[in-house]
Amino acid sequence: MAALPQIDTIKTPDAAVVQAARNARRARFNVPFVVVVALLVSYGLLIVYSAVRVDADYSFTRQLAGVAIGLVAMLLVWRFDYRKLSDFVTLFLIINVVLILSPHLPVIGVEAKGAQSWIKIGMQIQPGEFAKVTVVLLDAAVMARYGGRLDDPREYCRALGIMLVPFACIMTQPDLGTGLVYLFIAAVALVMGGARPKYLLITLAAFVAAVALVFAVDEVIKAQTGEYKLLQQYQRNRLLVFINDDYDPTGEGYNLNQAKIAIGSGGLFGQGLFKGTQHALGILPEAPTDFIFCVLAEELGFVGVVVLLALYAALILICFNIARSSNDLFGMLIVMCVVGMWLFQILENIGMDCGLMPITGIPLPFMSYGSSFMVVNFIMLGMIGSVWSHNNASLGKRG
Amino acid sequence: MLIAIIAALVALVLTAAAVVIVLNMVRKNRSESVGVKKSAATIDSVGVKSTLSDYMPKHANHGTAASSSSQPVTVPADVLRPRFLAMGALVAGVFATLLAKLWSMQILAGSKYASESEENRYSVVSTPAPRGYVYDADGLALVKNRSSLTVLADPDVADNRDVLLRLSTVLGVPYNVVRQRVKDASSGAQSQRVVASDARMRDVAFISEHADAFPGVTVETRAVRDYPYGALAAHALGYTGSVSEDELGNMAAGRDIELGDDVGKSGVESTYDNLIAGDHGQRKVMADSKGNVVEVVSETQPTRGSDVYLCIKGPVQYAADKALAELIAPDDGVIGSGAGTAGAVVVLDIADGGIVAMSSYPTFAPSTFTGGIPQEVWDLYNTEESHYPLMNRAISGSYPAASTYKAFTSMAALEYGFATDTSTWTCTGSWDGWNTGQPQMCWEHSGHGTLDLYGGIVNSCDVVFYEIAKAFWDNQETVGETALQDYLRKFRFGEYTGIDLSGEAQGRIPTPEWKAEHFADYPEEAVWKGGDMTNMIIGQGYVLTTPLQIACAYAAIATGTMMKPHLLKEVRNASGEVVLSFEPEVLTEIDVNTDDLALVRRSLRGVATDNSYIAKVLNDYGIQAACKTGTAEVAGKEDYAWFAMYAPYDDPKYVVACIVEEGGGGSDTAMPLGAAVMNAVLAYDRGELDEMGRIAGSTGKSVEPAAHVSSGRTD
Repeated sequence: MAALPQIDTIKTPDAAVVQAARNARRARFNVPFVVVVALLVSYGLLIVYSAVRVDADYSFTRQLAGVAIGLVAMLLVWRFDYRKLSDFVTLFLIINVVLILSPHLPVIGVEAKGAQSWIKIGMQIQPGEFAKVTVVLLDAAVMARYGGRLDDPREYCRALGIMLVPFACIMTQPDLGTGLVYLFIAAVALVMGGARPKYLLITLAAFVAAVALVFAVDEVIKAQTGEYKLLQQYQRNRLLVFINDDYDPTGEGYNLNQAKIAIGSGGLFGQGLFKGTQHALGILPEAPTDFIFCVLAEELGFVGVVVLLALYAALILICFNIARSSNDLFGMLIVMCVVGMWLFQILENIGMDCGLMPITGIPLPFMSYGSSFMVVNFIMLGMIGSVWSHNNASLGKRG
Repeated sequence: MLIAIIAALVALVLTAAAVVIVLNMVRKNRSESVGVKKSAATIDSVGVKSTLSDYMPKHANHGTAASSSSQPVTVPADVLRPRFLAMGALVAGVFATLLAKLWSMQILAGSKYASESEENRYSVVSTPAPRGYVYDADGLALVKNRSSLTVLADPDVADNRDVLLRLSTVLGVPYNVVRQRVKDASSGAQSQRVVASDARMRDVAFISEHADAFPGVTVETRAVRDYPYGALAAHALGYTGSVSEDELGNMAAGRDIELGDDVGKSGVESTYDNLIAGDHGQRKVMADSKGNVVEVVSETQPTRGSDVYLCIKGPVQYAADKALAELIAPDDGVIGSGAGTAGAVVVLDIADGGIVAMSSYPTFAPSTFTGGIPQEVWDLYNTEESHYPLMNRAISGSYPAASTYKAFTSMAALEYGFATDTSTWTCTGSWDGWNTGQPQMCWEHSGHGTLDLYGGIVNSCDVVFYEIAKAFWDNQETVGETALQDYLRKFRFGEYTGIDLSGEAQGRIPTPEWKAEHFADYPEEAVWKGGDMTNMIIGQGYVLTTPLQIACAYAAIATGTMMKPHLLKEVRNASGEVVLSFEPEVLTEIDVNTDDLALVRRSLRGVATDNSYIAKVLNDYGIQAACKTGTAEVAGKEDYAWFAMYAPYDDPKYVVACIVEEGGGGSDTAMPLGAAVMNAVLAYDRGELDEMGRIAGSTGKSVEPAAHVSSGRTD
């Protein structure tokens, strides 16, 4: 908007200008984008309502509050010109480190389920979730500087190094699930930021080798000290459950087994809304959060599942187009990183429910109960909207 | 179904909307990308009108880029088109994979998961069936059911100190006792533990209202056994308890039983458990993961077990139980405050073998076992001091038969001709027929003078029988070494009677063979001697019999026929139809000379009429009886008092056999007891007896019996 020519403001509006103004008003909101998001959020609220209505530990009002706060946050972010942020790599890095390490602080830090992942200021929030926003901005800003072409090995290593900092920080909590989301965002940034395929392949190989090394070193540690130190036992168990379908169906494999029963028993049309028994009878644990997809699949069946995936696909497609029509690399990378994050969380969450992926506590975007992640998702939407507006809106005004 | 249709419609509409939106986007995108491609190809050209919109962003971008950063002029999507395609492929791959997997789970394997979900949702809960009642011969309920509030706890509550403390406070049971009960795994490792039976209503209400403070604690209303007459006939009726895992494995086929159910552990409760136990009801319920029943889907009522009618006649049993208790422990149930330390009475119906009364003392209240017998009571009941109240002495007590044996050994003497109705012997008070220099004494040390067999039996003269034993010994070349034993076997001594109770003792007729085996390690002891014969013939030495065996044998004397003794009269199902009745069974027809039998009967009648004390007692009751007393000598103990009788003499109906351990002389202690019980059964038949009451269980206490001035045997 800063670049608006002076002449536009004094010229008498003609038909083209009127049309342009109408375009501009329409352009403030990308209609298909808003419609798909509205459907998705409503769908999510419906299923969450079904899941929480039988469980006094959760409050539907809180979820609605999350959506409300998220909407406000989205509108604020949408109006903000994302381009102003493209130079603040160092700032994002600092914000990331502070956010992710904040649960280690003495007074506000809260430990739960063996991880130092929460802080309590009035209410309990998970900074690692909010850091997803700054991780996206950091990774996009880092890669935007290479103008879509990263051939220099030293620069590549530098970029990679910066992008691995949030991952390293979150592993001190530790929170492997969120860490993997950061890694996937970084991977999308590298790929879409134009890093040389050879480097990408080398990085992938190094990643696989590192994972293998972790397991190998852990074995050595076990041989020395008698217990695993690098990977927690519950992580090992989840892997065992994942690899062996029938592993301990009443213990470690219980959640997976019950999740699969919930999904499978939905059949084509489902048991009917509010009629799912797996979660209502408390057989399926963590139904509103980690296993919300199972509630949907059980109550609305394959049809309901297809609708959800169609909505996700539509959202991603719209985002692809916003990314492709973006005039600057930073904006395109922001959108693609967000898409990458969603894609990974959809794959991981739905995948774990049906046994395709190991079980981790990664929420399903727009569906899972939890106001932190809901607000984060709305901020992401706001960022995408900002990218769209600040490319297309200027177009409209130009015309 | 309606909801499913609506959901499907909504799904269709939503999908259609999504498809329209996507198609729209794709079309728009295509035109855009075409434009971008074109403009990229001809970066310096202005291009055709249609690409105007593409030109403008480039320009705008250029403008902003110039003012803010050094970004290249090209639209990023242009250069990175292959990478967009790769991302698109990744997205498509992810969605296709998820859809394929979900399709296979929901559509292809849907029914499998649906049935698993069904299993999750519904569980079938067994409701225990009440056991049948136990009645006496005339329909008096001896064992009933009542409902009891039972507080149960999961096994892991044992580790929860807070909950245990709360239970202890509310129920008023010491902490350690509560903890012990929760830890007690006798009802099965997984099953809930009984913390308190018969809990008070207000305690139960408190626990139910504060369920959060009592995790793992539940309250159930259970049907438990009710014994209106306390310990009456306790040994015959038996007791019930939770089935153990071992018993569960050994259950007869068709018995519908689960862990936690009650099962008969002794007495007729055990023998007829199959009939008394009912069939479980089943409730199909929808329950949540915490086990709370959300909805009862279907229910079948449990079927109460069949009712068992026994031959026992309640008032007679009561009279026998009461007489025994008053004889042995008149003061507060303390054994030793009366005569003897323990005892048993059996009343047998001669005609069909029915047990009219079966009493054993000390006794126990079967209700002690309701909800599990407290450990301290169990321990007490297994001490010498308590004289083992759980033992049914009427069938499990093995005693020397003493002079009650003389009825049968004299039959043997008559059979082999070692005695006739005219033969006589002379008793001088001692006898040294074996020339050992250590004469054997008759109980009457002053001697009985000259006696025939009748006199020998009436006076219970030992010397007469020593002479007979010597005759058997001296003539073993002709009659055989074990002629006496073989004859005794006709009366089924040394054999199980086959009564419908478990734990019956076999008894013993000593033989040379038995002795050789028994004393195999002591060769000098193992030799069969004349002394063994003289001991055996008066029912001493190695002879062992149970009170029930004596009763059956006297029944055989009375009628010549021995019926199989039994407690069961009939079984009626829940609708009152007789489904099983006991068929009288002849154990043996005694194959003996009727003249010999008549002589022995006459002699037993003589015991009742010629002994002044016995005659007086029986006359007071107005009983025409034939009887025999006995006084068994037991090493290290006071004498055991025996008495066996049948009446009426002319038309024998009942046999009464009784023993009082350490009771002294048979005619002093046992005879009045037996006479009282015989009077009770005859009075009951005349309709003159209907008194019933509660019998107390053993206190487990005993004191040393008051020192008897032992006058030797008096029978």
